[in-house]
This record gives sequence, C-alpha cells and structure tokens, in this order.
Amino acid sequence: MKNIASWMKQGGPEGDIVLGTRCRLARNLQGIPFPEAASRDQLREVLQQVENVVPRLQSLGSFTYLEMGTMDTLDRQILAEEHLISPSHIQNPQHKAVILNDTSNVSIMVNEEDHLRIQVLKPGLQTEAAWQLATKIDDLLEEHLDFAFDMQTGYLTSCPTNVGTALRASVMFHLPALRRLKKVQEVLGAVSKFGLTVRGLYGEGSDVRGNVFQLSNQITLGQSEEETIEHLARFTDQILHSERQAREYLLEEDRRLETEDWLFRSYGILSNARTITSLEAMELLSDLKLGVDLGVIELSDRELLKQLMVQIRSAHLQKMMGQELPVQERDRLRASLIRDTLRSKS
Amino acid sequence: MKFVQIENNNKTELRLCQACAQGYTSFSTGFNLQHLLSSMFQTGNVGQSLSPSQQLKQCPTCGRTILDVQKTGRFGCSSCYEVFKDELSPVLRRLHGSSTHMGKVPARGYPKARIARQIEELRRRLQECVRLEKYEQAAKYRDELHMLEKQLAGGEGV
Repeated sequence: MKNIASWMKQGGPEGDIVLGTRCRLARNLQGIPFPEAASRDQLREVLQQVENVVPRLQSLGSFTYLEMGTMDTLDRQILAEEHLISPSHIQNPQHKAVILNDTSNVSIMVNEEDHLRIQVLKPGLQTEAAWQLATKIDDLLEEHLDFAFDMQTGYLTSCPTNVGTALRASVMFHLPALRRLKKVQEVLGAVSKFGLTVRGLYGEGSDVRGNVFQLSNQITLGQSEEETIEHLARFTDQILHSERQAREYLLEEDRRLETEDWLFRSYGILSNARTITSLEAMELLSDLKLGVDLGVIELSDRELLKQLMVQIRSAHLQKMMGQELPVQERDRLRASLIRDTLRSKS
Repeated sequence: MKFVQIENNNKTELRLCQACAQGYTSFSTGFNLQHLLSSMFQTGNVGQSLSPSQQLKQCPTCGRTILDVQKTGRFGCSSCYEVFKDELSPVLRRLHGSSTHMGKVPARGYPKARIARQIEELRRRLQECVRLEKYEQAAKYRDELHMLEKQLAGGEGV
C-alpha cells in the first residue's frame, strides 16, 4: 500500500492549529480546447504531451504518471481522501491522469477542469514554501509546454473565476475552540469582503467535519501571486491568534473542569467504542487533538491523530483490509483501529 | 447506500454512507457557483436581451456561442477569451475587481515582459521593506532590481 501523503503525516509549523497548506496553479495547453469542450482525441493529445514532460521534473524528485482509468476505484478514492486529487477527478476517469511525486506532496491533475492543475501540499503553515515549489514546477513544465496565456488576462482557464494568476492558495485550519465557543462565524464570516473564501475540508459544497476549515483566495486578477500569498498569510495570523485566545479561555480556572470533562469524554468514547461512523470519529478525533494540543491529554505521538483522521476514512479502511466492505463492517473496523492505535500510544 | 436521480434524461449516482444518507434530500436550492457565474454573463440591465450580432458571435476554435457561455459560465478554449472579450471584461471586474493580470508571465515567448513583471514585483517589495524599516533586506532587493534592469536594457540573458 502506498504510504499516507507526507503532508497528512507530519505536524509542520503551527501544526496545533494549521493542518496543511495548499497551492494550486491551473494551466492549459495552447491550441487545445479546455477538457470540457475537448474531443477524446484532443484529451488523449493532452495526456500524451504531459506524459512526455514528466521526466523533466526529475530535478525535483521522482514523479509517477498514472492514468485514472487504469486505477481501481479504491485507489482513486484514497487519493481523493488525501486531497491529492479532487472528488470530481474520480468521476468519469477516462482520459484523466495524475502525476504524483514519491512523498505525495505534489500532485498534478491532468484533464480535470483545466488541462493541468499543479498542486503542492505542505504540512502545517507553509504558504510561501508551497508557492515557491508550485511556481518551480510550473517553470519546468513551461520550458516544454506552450501554456495558454495573454498579457492582459494572464493564464487562461476554463472558468473565469480562475483566470489571471490561476493560483488558489489554501490554508486548512483546525478550529475546535472557536467552534466550541460558537465564534467561527464571527471570525471567518468577514473574509469574503477581503477576497477570501471559507469552505469545509473536502472542497466545494462540502460541509464542515471535525472542525476543519479551509481558507482560500478568491481573486486571481489584479494582484500578483506574492500579494495573494501575503494577503492570505495576514488573515491566517489573525485566525491563529483568535483560536489561541479561545483555547486559553477554555482553560481559564472557572472553565477548566468543564473543558477537561468534555475532552476526556471524547477520549473515552474513542478508546472504548465498538462501532463508529466516520462522521462521529472525525468530531471526536478533533476533540482529542485539541486535548493533546492543550496538554490536557497525553499521547506519546501527537502526529498520530492527524494520520488517524485519514486512516479512518472509508477507502483507507477498505484498502487496509484488502477488500470492499459493507458499512457496518467498516464502522466496526474503524472503532477497532482507533482503539488499538490509542492503546499503543497512551 | 446508493441514490439514483434522473433529471432531464441525465442519470446521477450518489454513493453515501448511512450517516450521510440520513441527512440527504434531493432538495436543491438551485443556488450554485455555476448559476451565479452564468448570471454574471447576462449583459447590461436585467431583462435586456442580447443583440442579434452578439447572439451570432461564435468561437471559431471550439464553436461556443455567448449563449453557451451564459448557460455554463465556462469557456470552451483559450480563443473564447479573445472572441468574447467585450462580454467578459465587465464579468472579470465584477468577479475580481480588476480585468488586468498582474502576476507571473511565462518565460518562453515573453522573456522581456517576464523581467518587467519581476521588476514591478521587486519594486513593490522594496517599498514594503522601506516602510517597515527593514533596510538590510531592502538593499538586497535593490541589488536584484539593478541586475534585472540591466538585463532588460541590454537584452542580456533574454
């Protein structure tokens, strides 16, 4: 089995609050219609051109080109659960591909909404590093591929919401204390006025799970990539500050008992449950992570919880067992995996 | 658990776990990004229809008309950006507050423009450093800036 993507294994800078950072660049090949309007032959032409340049990326590590159509359903789902590909890249896998590096912190989707979606994922808060790597990959690809570009409008994309820099930078936050104090709306509600947007963990239209929120830029025209990154970083600082304050508040003398009770109850359920849905597990693991990050609960390996958050998802569980499983069986296995993991580290 | 929805001869399949399925309904508010986007392409005032010449405009590369773009909120190919320039420009301003690219320029095909952009970006950083009184960093940017300006003037390494 492929190892879990490195960005989901390690903590990284500000790892108690920021789970990860992502930079995505959309690029299209000059002279070929965007995937939605392209014929099969044209889509194949894109795959061919892109596959040919994969060896040019070797200076940045080892990269593998995988056609989505040749992968089995479970393997595709695993990539989506680790955010290496989008949920929409799994649907209709024909004429789609993904290029992954050996540590799975770079993924390039081919023939998604645009011909190329270059993604860099880093653990913790690393906006600048993620952007630097993404632009380096773009430079290497651009030496061999003609990208659709216009001096006035920038990089041309299928959707005009991406045109220009075609950069989407995101920071994934774990905000359990703000959520507990019902202040998430207050803190994140205003971001749209500043050209930013907030979503749940699994991208567009997804609801919030395990108190994970994704903050991204919305504007791609009229500002440089560096400005976009700096702007996002400034807001990130504000959010970090608010969450830290909320955490301190939860530990103040007259609230500490209540907070500890809440966190230990969640720990108790996770350590003892015999069957658990992924939704409940995500919520409780979020509590447990908070408990560990606050120093209220002790676990010998704190990165473990981040790994568990992805290991308990359906495709990962089924891959671990080497077969597709009915829902009840998955819930049972999930509970058992969590129990065993926590017992070995407590 | 599997949901199959058939609408306008389009079959959509949804696979959900038990917990998600309990909260799932087929109710749709009709409020989504695509609708928002396509509404942005409606020209001028509400109710004002497209002129016949606008309706006839078609992208020679992918065959899309402005009606297609209105429907999907998406372009078919890079030529669409040129063909539907007039319709697009106000949309971009509404979406981004600007219709001018200020970012990266590909090195190949635009070597001078790329350097010019890098110079602009360095100037911005330099000003920021001076404002924050980070003079050491500012000096570094100034050196880089001089090098790029020389390159641009002399055509070296371009």
